[in-house]
Amino acid sequence: MAEKTILVIDDDIDLVEIIRVTLENNGYRVIDAQTGERGLAMAKEQNPDLILLDVMMGKVDEGFQVAYQLRSDEVTADTPILMLTAVTDQTGFDFDPARDKDFLPVNEFLEKPVSPRDLVDMVRKHLPTNV
Amino acid sequence: MRHDLRNPIEPLDPGSSQFVSAASLRVRLDWFNKLRWGAAVGVLAVVLVAGVGLKAPIEVRGLLLTGVVLLLLNTVYVVRGWRFPAVDIAIEMRLVKVQMVCDLLLLTVLLHFSGGVENPLLFLYILHVIIASLLFKGREIFQIAWLAIFLFTAEVSGEYFGLLPHHHIPTASEVAHELPFTLMTLASFWLVILFSAYVGARIMSHNRAIKDELVARQSDLLDEDRAKTDFFRFVTHEIKSPVNTAQSGVETALDLIGESMVPSVRDVLERAVSRLKQATAIIRDLAELTRGGVLKEENLTVVDFNQLVTAAVDHQRETADRAGLKLNVVLPDPAVSLTTIRPMVETIVANLVNNAIRYNREGGRVSVRLVDTGKLVRLVVEDEGVGISAEEQTQVFDEFYRSAEAREKSDLGTGLGLAIVKKFVEELGGTIDLESDVGKGSTFIVVLPRKSRKNRRMKRSSGEIRP
Repeated sequence: MAEKTILVIDDDIDLVEIIRVTLENNGYRVIDAQTGERGLAMAKEQNPDLILLDVMMGKVDEGFQVAYQLRSDEVTADTPILMLTAVTDQTGFDFDPARDKDFLPVNEFLEKPVSPRDLVDMVRKHLPTNV
Repeated sequence: MRHDLRNPIEPLDPGSSQFVSAASLRVRLDWFNKLRWGAAVGVLAVVLVAGVGLKAPIEVRGLLLTGVVLLLLNTVYVVRGWRFPAVDIAIEMRLVKVQMVCDLLLLTVLLHFSGGVENPLLFLYILHVIIASLLFKGREIFQIAWLAIFLFTAEVSGEYFGLLPHHHIPTASEVAHELPFTLMTLASFWLVILFSAYVGARIMSHNRAIKDELVARQSDLLDEDRAKTDFFRFVTHEIKSPVNTAQSGVETALDLIGESMVPSVRDVLERAVSRLKQATAIIRDLAELTRGGVLKEENLTVVDFNQLVTAAVDHQRETADRAGLKLNVVLPDPAVSLTTIRPMVETIVANLVNNAIRYNREGGRVSVRLVDTGKLVRLVVEDEGVGISAEEQTQVFDEFYRSAEAREKSDLGTGLGLAIVKKFVEELGGTIDLESDVGKGSTFIVVLPRKSRKNRRMKRSSGEIRP
C-alpha cells in the first residue's frame, strides 16, 4: 500500500522543512503549500490523507477560512485537519479545543513550537501508518 | 508593602477648563455651607442676646429676618447637595456664583441693619472677593469685585444722602453722615477689593497655566505608554515565529539522531532547547502583558472561584510533589463565585501558586486560602521559601525584575509572572499586597471584586478617552 500523504500549509518555509524531516522519517509523504489559496488547490488536486494547517498566515483568520473551505469541499470534507497555533497569535478570540471543537472545522490543535514527538503522536492518532 | 491599584493617581481632566473637578468643588461647597450655618447662627445669637436679652438699641426685626433668610437659603443648598450628586462642573460653578451673589446681597442687608459704614464687618466683602479669585477666572472675579463695590457703595451713599434709613449700632461712633470718613472708607474699600481681585486673579492664572502644562504632559506620557505597549506587542509577534521554528528544528534533530550523538554534543543541543523554551515562555508572558482591552461586558462570565482554585492547584500538584512540598488549600463553604474574565483569574492563581512552589524551601509548605468577605474575595498564597527583601518588594512587580533570591533559586524564570499578576488584578479592579521576610517566605494577598469592572485609568490607557 502506498504511503500516506500529508499536506502542510504554512508560510514558514523553515518550519515546513523541519516538519517534513520528522514526518518523512516516520513513513509519511509530505507535500506543502505556502499560501492558503495554493493549499486549497493542492488539497483538491491531490486529496491528501491529512492536512496540517497554520492558523495564521497572511491574514489573522486565514487558517480558519481555509479550514472552512476544506470542510465544505466534498473532496476534503472528511480529511483530518490538524491546526497549528502559536501562543501569541492575536486571533481576536481565545479558542479552546475542548470547548470549541463543535463549531471549529478542525480535528485538533497543536501549539507551536511543535515538538516532533507530539506531532508524530497526533498524526498517528488520525492516520495510522500501514507499515 | 501595599499596591493599592484601585486608587491610582487621579488623572487630571483635560476636558475641563476648571481648576477643580465637580466632586472636589462639591467638597468645598460643603465647607462653605458650614461657614454659612455659623454665620446665620452667629447673627441670630448676637441679635437675640444683645437686642432681645440686653435690650440694646439695635434693629432686631431686620437682623432676625436676615439671619432667618440665610438659614433657609443654606438649608436649600444643603438639601440640594444631598439630593443631587456633583456631576457637571459647569452646573456646580454656576451654583457657586448664584450662592455668592446671594451671600453678598445678604451681607449688604445685614450691614444696612447694623450701622452700614460704621460696621467693621464690611471686611467680609474682601473675604468673598478672595474666595471668588480662587474659584473663578479673570472677568468673573472682577464681576464679583464690582458687585461688592456697587452694593456697599450704594448702601453707604443711600444712607449718606438720606435715601435709606440709618440704623446706628451702639458700639460705633455716629459717622454715617460725615463726608470725610465715608469717602475715605469707600476709597479704601474700592482699593482693597480691586487689589484683592487683581492679586488673586494673577496668582490663580499662573496656577492654571501649571495645571494646563501638567495635563498636556500627562497626555503625552499616556501616548508614549501606548506606543511602548504597541512596540512590545509588535516585537513579541515578530520574534515568536523564529524562536518557535528554531526550537522545533533543534528538537527534531535531537529526536532523530539524539541517541547516536556524542553526549557532549547532545548536551549542547539540550541546553539550546531549554533556553529556547525560556524564550518561548517570555514571549508568551509578554503577549499576555501587552494584550489590551479584554475587559468588556461580553467577556465576563460567572466563574466558580472554588473550582477554579482547585483546578489550578491540582494542575501544579505534581510539580509540588516532585519538590517534596506540602500543598494546602482552604476554600470557603458555600463556594464563592465571581463575574470576571476566567483566563485572567486562572493566570493570576496559576502564577502565584507556581511562584510559591518554585521559590519554596525543600520540604516547605504552600498554603492557598480563599476567603469570601462579601463584596470582595480574598486570595492568599503563602510560601515558606526564599522571601523577598524589603528593598526588593517594591520592584518585584516590575517587568523583567527578578529578585536576587529568585535568580539564585531558578535560572529559567521570565521575570514577568508577577508583572502579569499585577496587571490582571489591576484590570479586574482588585488590589494586591505582599508581605515577606527573607528566609521565612512570602505571602501574596489578592483582593478581587465579585464583579470586575473597568476603572477610569484603564479606559484612559486603552485610548477610549482622548484629551
